[in-house]
Amino acid sequence: MMHKLLATIKKEFLLLIRDKVGLSILFIMPMILIMVMTLIQDAAFKTLNEKGVPLVFVNNDQDSLGILIKQGLENNDLCDFSDSINGRPATAEMASIAVSEGKFLVGIIIPKGATSAIRNNVTQLVNETLNTDTAALNTTADSVEITILIDPATKKSVLSAITSNMHEFISEVKNRIIFQTFSEQIAEVIPNKSSAPKNAYQKTQLIRYKEVYASVTGDKIVPNAVQHNVPAWAIFAMFFIAIPLSGSIMKEKNEGSVFRLNTMPSSYLLLMNGKIIVYVIVCMIQFLLMLSVGLYILPLFGLPALVMGNSILGIFLLTMGTAFAATGYGVMVGTLSATEHQAAIMGSLSILLLSALGGIWVPPYIMPEVMRQISAFSPLNWSLEGFYSLFLRGGQAKDVLFDVLKLMLFFLGTMTIASITNRIKRNI
Amino acid sequence: MNPSPIIEIEGLTKTFRHATEAAVKGISFSINRNEIFGLLGPNGAGKTTTISMLCGLFPPSSGSIRINGRHFHQHLADFKKLIGIVPQDIALYPTLTARENLDFYGHMYGLKGADLKERRESWLIKLGLTDVGDRKISSYSGGMKRRVNLIAGVLHSPEILFLDEPTVGVDVQSRNVMIELLKEVNRAGTTIIYTSHHMEEAEDLCTTVSIIDYGKILDQGSPGELIARHPGCEDLESVFLNLTKRKLRNG
Repeated sequence: MMHKLLATIKKEFLLLIRDKVGLSILFIMPMILIMVMTLIQDAAFKTLNEKGVPLVFVNNDQDSLGILIKQGLENNDLCDFSDSINGRPATAEMASIAVSEGKFLVGIIIPKGATSAIRNNVTQLVNETLNTDTAALNTTADSVEITILIDPATKKSVLSAITSNMHEFISEVKNRIIFQTFSEQIAEVIPNKSSAPKNAYQKTQLIRYKEVYASVTGDKIVPNAVQHNVPAWAIFAMFFIAIPLSGSIMKEKNEGSVFRLNTMPSSYLLLMNGKIIVYVIVCMIQFLLMLSVGLYILPLFGLPALVMGNSILGIFLLTMGTAFAATGYGVMVGTLSATEHQAAIMGSLSILLLSALGGIWVPPYIMPEVMRQISAFSPLNWSLEGFYSLFLRGGQAKDVLFDVLKLMLFFLGTMTIASITNRIKRNI
Repeated sequence: MNPSPIIEIEGLTKTFRHATEAAVKGISFSINRNEIFGLLGPNGAGKTTTISMLCGLFPPSSGSIRINGRHFHQHLADFKKLIGIVPQDIALYPTLTARENLDFYGHMYGLKGADLKERRESWLIKLGLTDVGDRKISSYSGGMKRRVNLIAGVLHSPEILFLDEPTVGVDVQSRNVMIELLKEVNRAGTTIIYTSHHMEEAEDLCTTVSIIDYGKILDQGSPGELIARHPGCEDLESVFLNLTKRKLRNG
């Protein structure tokens, strides 16, 4: 039995290395894919986080509120600040046109007299509180309307990130002015009380936020395009092995070898095992190459190097589980298909679907609830979650054992379906 | 003493799934040990279906096959070791060399080591392929591929050899070599079951001939017996045409 298995492995290996196009699909294309996708996503990431959001600022106030917001936005890393358009100071009308044309993602317009309106309102509030001016009790406060223009083409997720940041920042500037005016008013009402010192507002900041990426081991692994993309696209490429594998099964059928093999004293599973062993090894090499891209090639393009976490055993087990799941899937597609063409279409479309569901294209947490629940059934999702545990959360081998188990059960399931289908197809 | 039958077929029928008519309709015959048995018929007569059932590719709808007195499908794994097949289509890996193909199929039949190498080289010499044995099959001519296809079926010295139109598309020189080798294989003790459209080839090679059409056996006997049984027929081809008529077939 063993020498038959070895002969099958040798045959598969020879068939594989002589198929130059197939080899390039298996090894070179995934490496290119991983580089392209990571560089593109990193560029998008940088646009929003390093260069900043292109923002046009129209300051019609020219007083404290406008000046403070301008200073704040100029120093804000999130913004690519500009207060002029085509060399001319920006006006509300020009800003509206420029944003609608997509030249800026966001426009902020501070209305004329905004600072004095705030001051008047605060003065009125102090007087009401201390009841020094009865006439003021009957007057209504003026509201200040800051306009935030938004490019309609901006994605909703990006938009809400930007606007909430702007709201927070403007609100803080407004509070600072209110606090300052309040202090000045109180000093006027209570003669022996001087106004608050200049850093008094900072002292009111009693709550601070510290953003820390959670990690099992406490390691500081920073999520970035490389950490997300390398495992995601590596898994995608591993599952794409289903196409050449199912193609090889179909080719054997078409070339008549299966006819002869079916008359021989060898079982279907023995013949498939030879394929599985070779393609699992190919998957492992594929993954190794893609990790190498993350470790050594992406840094040459100015990207951070991949951080692999602490568990080589965990990576090995999870890669092996993924490789078995991918090859099992390929065998199933090859057995279910009637033609090579059908295998190629069924293989590629189903993998695209499974990868979309599995969170390769977009993370599952931004999917609708129903899709998120479906996502949990994609083997690509099990693998991706496992690699996130290892690469981003500092997990150990024990943390991915359940994912590995699910992947191996998926492999057994696909092989059972393939075996039953083969039996049904032969019992014509 | 009557020669002992190696294969006994009784009421063999095959109706494919979704088919309205049976491809093979209750045929019965026996093949004696060391015989060269020709199963002749026009396209769609049921030859390949019969051979496929005898090779265990799919089970019959009804009827029985016995090999050496034992029920074939109950001892399929054991019987598969005894048989060899040379299919109608070239069943070889085009990107592997002839030697690599033969090594693989040899291993699948349980051959290994020096024995496999010796058999492989011996057959390559006999069929004039030793110098091109390391070339990929895809670079071979149709006749060369047929010769390697033949070797892959006989490499393990099977007790029963099935040949499904083994000489289709082969030049006269290659065909003569192949026929001589089949006779040699038969002399060494292999029972041969053979299908063909070449009546002259069948007349030369076969000890017994069975003519099949529309899934039924029309007549059976040695080529001489069949010619004698059909008045006005001078050779096997005229017997064949007499039994199957001249109408064109779309099988």
